Amino acid sequence: MLKATIRATLRPDQDLSAIDPQMAWSAWEPTSEEPWDARRVRHLMRRGGFGAKSSEVKQLVDAGPAKAIDALMGKQSVQALEAFEQDSAQILSALRSGGNVESIAAWWLHRMLHSPSPLVEKMTLFWHGHFATGADKVNDTELMVQQNRMLREHALGDYSSLVQAVSKDPAMLLYLDSATNRKTHPNENYARELMELFCLGEGNYTEQDVQQLARCFTGWEIKRKTFRFNPYQHDSGFKKLFETEGIESGEQAVGAVLAHRSMPTFIAGKLVRFFVCDEPAPEADFLLPLAVAFQKGDFAIEPLVRTILSSKLLLSDWSRGKKVRSPVEFVVESMRNLQMTTNLDRLAKGLDGVGQALFNPPNVKGWDGGRAWINSSTLIGRSNLIVDLLREPATRFARGPLDAWLKSEQVSSDRQWLDWLETSLLSIPLSDSDKEQLQSSVAKSDVGFDPWRKMLVALSQNPKFHLS
Amino acid sequence: MMKRRDFGQRSLGLSAGLAIGSVQPGGWLQALASELQEQAGTSSDSERVLVVIQLSGGNDGLNTVIPYGDENYAKARPKLAIPSSQVIKHTDLLGFHPSLKSLETSWSANRFSIVQGVGYAKPNRSHFESMDIWHTCHAKEDRTQTGWIGRWVSGESDSDPSDSAAIHLGSEPLPLACQQRGVQVPSLVSLEQMRLKSKLQMGQAAQVASGSLLDFVSTSTVAALQVSERLEKILAQPDTSGDFPKTLLGEKLRAISRLILAGVKTRVYYVTLDGFDTHANQPDIHATLLRQWSEALAAFLSRLERSGHQDRVLVMTFSEFGRRVAENASQGTDHGAAAPIFLAGPKLGKLVRGLHPELEDLDDGDLRFGIDFRAVYAAVLDGWLKADSRKALDSDFRSAGSDLGLFT
Repeated sequence: MLKATIRATLRPDQDLSAIDPQMAWSAWEPTSEEPWDARRVRHLMRRGGFGAKSSEVKQLVDAGPAKAIDALMGKQSVQALEAFEQDSAQILSALRSGGNVESIAAWWLHRMLHSPSPLVEKMTLFWHGHFATGADKVNDTELMVQQNRMLREHALGDYSSLVQAVSKDPAMLLYLDSATNRKTHPNENYARELMELFCLGEGNYTEQDVQQLARCFTGWEIKRKTFRFNPYQHDSGFKKLFETEGIESGEQAVGAVLAHRSMPTFIAGKLVRFFVCDEPAPEADFLLPLAVAFQKGDFAIEPLVRTILSSKLLLSDWSRGKKVRSPVEFVVESMRNLQMTTNLDRLAKGLDGVGQALFNPPNVKGWDGGRAWINSSTLIGRSNLIVDLLREPATRFARGPLDAWLKSEQVSSDRQWLDWLETSLLSIPLSDSDKEQLQSSVAKSDVGFDPWRKMLVALSQNPKFHLS
Repeated sequence: MMKRRDFGQRSLGLSAGLAIGSVQPGGWLQALASELQEQAGTSSDSERVLVVIQLSGGNDGLNTVIPYGDENYAKARPKLAIPSSQVIKHTDLLGFHPSLKSLETSWSANRFSIVQGVGYAKPNRSHFESMDIWHTCHAKEDRTQTGWIGRWVSGESDSDPSDSAAIHLGSEPLPLACQQRGVQVPSLVSLEQMRLKSKLQMGQAAQVASGSLLDFVSTSTVAALQVSERLEKILAQPDTSGDFPKTLLGEKLRAISRLILAGVKTRVYYVTLDGFDTHANQPDIHATLLRQWSEALAAFLSRLERSGHQDRVLVMTFSEFGRRVAENASQGTDHGAAAPIFLAGPKLGKLVRGLHPELEDLDDGDLRFGIDFRAVYAAVLDGWLKADSRKALDSDFRSAGSDLGLFT
């Protein structure tokens, strides 16, 4: 009965619950109705990276989907990666005494804007939201950068090593007040969040598990900015976590949490929400093919992400417009596509005003994402941010003025410009009335810009600009 | 069809009067202004305002309203107990954290009340789950995506279309408590931040309600523009809000006082103060946060009193849970359960309602609740906002609410 509603193809308006999971997660293949073209390349680059400039899009159309995903990971650009890492290291070393939060956020923005492996940066951003740690509380930018590098190193590695590293990460433990854990009064904070937010989800453990797990972490300390184990403060008594008895060390306890049956589904669900669609939250059954493969592959992250990015669900038209762009996404994508450079310290500050201060997520749960990105303030703020970016004297387009860059893109009329922006920046096409309204807005606009910039500002106030 | 809300039309007379009066003090203009203010001060039901302050992270209720006379208090907290010499004493048993000093004028005028031991059955010790329970009034199993204020807004929005029934002020996402099915409750970082730098003709929203993301962003865009236009007019008037502490909460309450004084018809304002998750080094952090709360609140109440609005604005302060009775090894406390709710503003009678939870009869190390939080919400909805609490709460707590005897 149910099977009858499940179809071999995906219609854009189909309910997630009516889609066959095996089909959804199988690899997308081009058809005559859904060819591998510039539009689809841009969609993949938006979701798996931070957009792409026109010349990259052309190359990737020729290369095909598998090579395009390799390109997102920088697999074909060893030399470019080396040069980029040198630039990035130089920016970081130029920061006096570790820099302030805005300057390290600017360093990271530079990576997102220029990295030859944008998927690695996108995954680092994902883990930053997942293992959320706030610089305001940690109060040590060096430790925040150290954590950021650790997240990047493991970004597409294996989840077990990542969680073990996070569990000893100084910034994380300072953020969660878990830099001292004494056997007499174990601190429950890290133990709770490890299960609730990082691995299992609420409801998959008991209060007793929290207390037992906290005992396993006794003796774990941060001293002089580094992790150390203090055996005198470790509670070596009998412990029982879930149904497993005789767990001794913190490492074993992390292992037991990772081995819990709800972990693979929990992580797969978060990745699907990050890459594919904000809502609805998929049922566990729908995630099962991903979760099973994740488990069989010893929790390797790269194959899981690759399956999601190359899936029918993501690459078909079904997923278009099903995500709200985060502030970082809408700014960095716009800039990468328009080959913009600007004053990144100021940009980092600007992102704070629209709800996504890098290195300062709102709390340990990270950014809620989806509809939570959008409210009166952030909508006004997003448009104002584009105005600020265009007004900023340091802003350049392919290192030159806007006029010259437009010429290189063969844009010479307002209609061509609008088409260019639509193709490059929007996931959902503009309607005729959208276009009329945008053109009349530009004609009436009071902002002191040329018509090119006015059009970009007008587009930033169109609802479709905020969807991916 | 989405209703076009006509901000900026109503109450313009009142605002203009205030604006002129403050520019040119003295004379008949000022007399007119103060007369208008007095009118605003006479409280009719539709003018009553509720301000919700959320203390995020789990406020340590036990070190806020302190059972200093109970020997078990100091026993459970060898390092963290507030010495009785520092406690602001209320009875032989109970007193308040010294950081609450600036609220003394309020409680001596019977304009402050504490509801003790508030919580709910089977307490959840996750910040996010517990906060969701306080916001939605539903347990996890039958969770909705609407909150109690949102549901109140849905039932209310037709009666006065001039201003949004509720406003959230703060940089965090719109709290679940304010979520509703229709047009989103506006969320403002600040009044000033809502100025649009480039006034273009924003896209008219697609007038369909399929509930898609695009519809949602479209209707939110129209609402954002309208709020922005309305605030532009208010910001053009001089700011008479006066002295507020230069803290995040102080700034938020100053903005709210500005809106109330400008005659904005919004009935519910929602703000948060974060940082109460005191797992470590609690004494200084908690004292500072409580002082930020009490000083901002005292400034707000005094501003309302000076303009004759003190009887029509109720402030309710809550947190998602209290903290564990026993302290931990990091000079902090872990997640707990029951805690007090604070009400301030109009005449409220008794200072303390409900019994302080027993320190010897604990629920897995935590204080047991005596009063369900929905009873307090019901009292506020039925008794203060004159709404039907059953719709907003999705359950009937009317009699438990009226038993509190808050608004008689």
